Amino acid sequence: MGKQIRLELQATLKRFLPAACEDYPIECGIRVRDLLEQLGIAEYEVNLVFINGVPTNLDSTLQGGEKVALYPPLGGG
Amino acid sequence: MPYGYHGRILHVNLNDSSYQIEEPSENFYRTYVGGGGLGAYYLLKDLKPGTDPLGADNILVVALSVVTGAPLSGFSRYTIAAKSPLTGGFAETEAGGYFGPELKFSGYDAIVIKGKSPKPVYLWIKDGKVEIRDAAAVWGLENGDALDRIREEVNEPKARVASIGPAGERMVLVSNVMNECGHANGRTGMGAVMGSKNLKAIACRGDSKKLEFADPDKVKELVSWHSQRIKEHQPNINFSKFGTPMFVMGLNAAGILPTKNFKEGVFEGAEKIGVPGLEKILKRAGTCYRCAVGCKRVVEMQTPYDINPRYGGPEYECLAAFGSFCGIDDIGAVAKANEMCNRYGLDVIGAGAIIAFAMECFEENILTEADNDGRKVLFGDTEGMLDLVNKINTRQGLGDILAQGVKRAANKIGNGADRFAFTIKGQEIPMHDPRGKTGVALSYALSPTGADHVETPHDGTFAGDGVNFVKPLGILDPVDPVSFDEAKVRFFKLGQLSWSMNNLLGICNFVAAPFLALKYEKIEEAVRAITGWETNLWEIMRATERSEVMMRVFNNREGFGPEDDKLFRRLHEPLPDGPSKGLRIDEQDLKKAIQLYYDMMGWDSAGKPTRGKLYDLNLEWLAEAQ
Repeated sequence: MGKQIRLELQATLKRFLPAACEDYPIECGIRVRDLLEQLGIAEYEVNLVFINGVPTNLDSTLQGGEKVALYPPLGGG
Repeated sequence: MPYGYHGRILHVNLNDSSYQIEEPSENFYRTYVGGGGLGAYYLLKDLKPGTDPLGADNILVVALSVVTGAPLSGFSRYTIAAKSPLTGGFAETEAGGYFGPELKFSGYDAIVIKGKSPKPVYLWIKDGKVEIRDAAAVWGLENGDALDRIREEVNEPKARVASIGPAGERMVLVSNVMNECGHANGRTGMGAVMGSKNLKAIACRGDSKKLEFADPDKVKELVSWHSQRIKEHQPNINFSKFGTPMFVMGLNAAGILPTKNFKEGVFEGAEKIGVPGLEKILKRAGTCYRCAVGCKRVVEMQTPYDINPRYGGPEYECLAAFGSFCGIDDIGAVAKANEMCNRYGLDVIGAGAIIAFAMECFEENILTEADNDGRKVLFGDTEGMLDLVNKINTRQGLGDILAQGVKRAANKIGNGADRFAFTIKGQEIPMHDPRGKTGVALSYALSPTGADHVETPHDGTFAGDGVNFVKPLGILDPVDPVSFDEAKVRFFKLGQLSWSMNNLLGICNFVAAPFLALKYEKIEEAVRAITGWETNLWEIMRATERSEVMMRVFNNREGFGPEDDKLFRRLHEPLPDGPSKGLRIDEQDLKKAIQLYYDMMGWDSAGKPTRGKLYDLNLEWLAEAQ
């Protein structure tokens, strides 16, 4: 069943932002990892994953209605 | 009895090969804790201002913390502190690996080394017993050979060794201290200080089971919690899977990958030196003592470069320093430069930055073929770059000038070379362009050790929802990566406390708060469970601020002032191209921000901690020091 999420891509990931980012359609139950594939983002380009402001990981699943924020690696060392 | 630490500090005098053991009180440890806190204490107490950093009177402190050696991921780091021959100010440099925990198991919390040995020696510490041994057969050896030889001489194949290579023996100012061939106390020229003392290495061995913790069950519970979260927390998953090389592509996409001596922020060859390029020569992941992350990348190659995997592999800083910063997109050559630096004991950031500086001097005809055996080394010249790494190590030809660091080399070269010589307080710049993350501008300008990229967490992570990571510090609004306002100064000051706490405790920034697996409350729980102290973050943070203030007082005492808290020409000019085109650091904004920082810290307008601040932090013994 189709649902929507609110998609927020930070910093350099903004170049992958789809037009419908406020109501981005997803298949219920997909993982964030699958979302990256749909958006054409390589795994190593994403360092932080937030669902509704809570840090999590690429294997988290989405049910629809969430806010998903993704960040690239921006630090160093 | 103390838990987690020994209450024993080893004092070695190399002038006469003597040593004694100090047994400070619990209050001493609660006050200075470890790392740079202990380093600054002994330097302020026993080092006279104006001392020659490469003279016999410099003091070298190897410091663990009260929690070093506990089996939590990332609790393996240790500090080497001294007066820096690069900056003339306070030096501290941290390394992970296995040496720090082993030194703790061998029976000591720190080693304070004074004097100069009349001949090369190394320290051998086993189960509390100390020997100062003749290093005649070890002097001159590269780090790997020195490691093998020392293990053979002391008949202990599991001895852990922190050594200098030939570069440190020759007092190259960007020489480092390596442990186990792949872990570096990289910055501030500590290899040269050990070399100046005729001290080749420190070797140690002890029994980890003899290190007792106040609440072993709680420690076990924390280890388990931390390991599990490392597996579930995306940035730690990334560190495990990709290591620091992941930053190459991220920073390049942002247009702030330091390229060609900070001329540019985008490098065409980024993919070749980033994760995709490195994976072609990757042998395996490497790690530090009891760490579940394993962020290190071990590489191997036979042709065209013979790269020995025992020397690990290039981290982000190295990939950028010998890659984009030198205009080189050959991952093999960059990895070879890393291996050579680790063999010789050279700081990869310092060496890469010096070579990029020389390349720009060649580009500008400030240096010519006549200066380098008939060869111009322009940006992108891989063989020329590798040749200069060798020459810096051996101090031959142009290498002898470059071995003195960018600042001194520019003075020696003259002819306008200083226009392309970028250092802060005399220390070469790490591989981060503050024009796209202004908190790093404050890190560079205000770090007591000169340009330092691990002074405060980098801004971009805390935009948007990322601010949730730093809310416990009191940073409540999302951080704008490129703003330079009051909120940014507050972010810098509080972030600096957070990462300085990690340094003080010897905890790796890649496993802990603010944005990695070990949350603030867990750090507090760990210190309590390990030491048994009835303590909290408040006390630990105050100790952290105390260490920051002591380092500042040390530099003030050596004659540093607000005029030294600055950046360099190129960062005040706009980035010429790419996604961050036009970004620059305004000099007036920077000055205002620094004054506000002094105010926030309780320092006067000359950057001197006030009498009240010193008394507040139990540092009344420093009231007359500045």
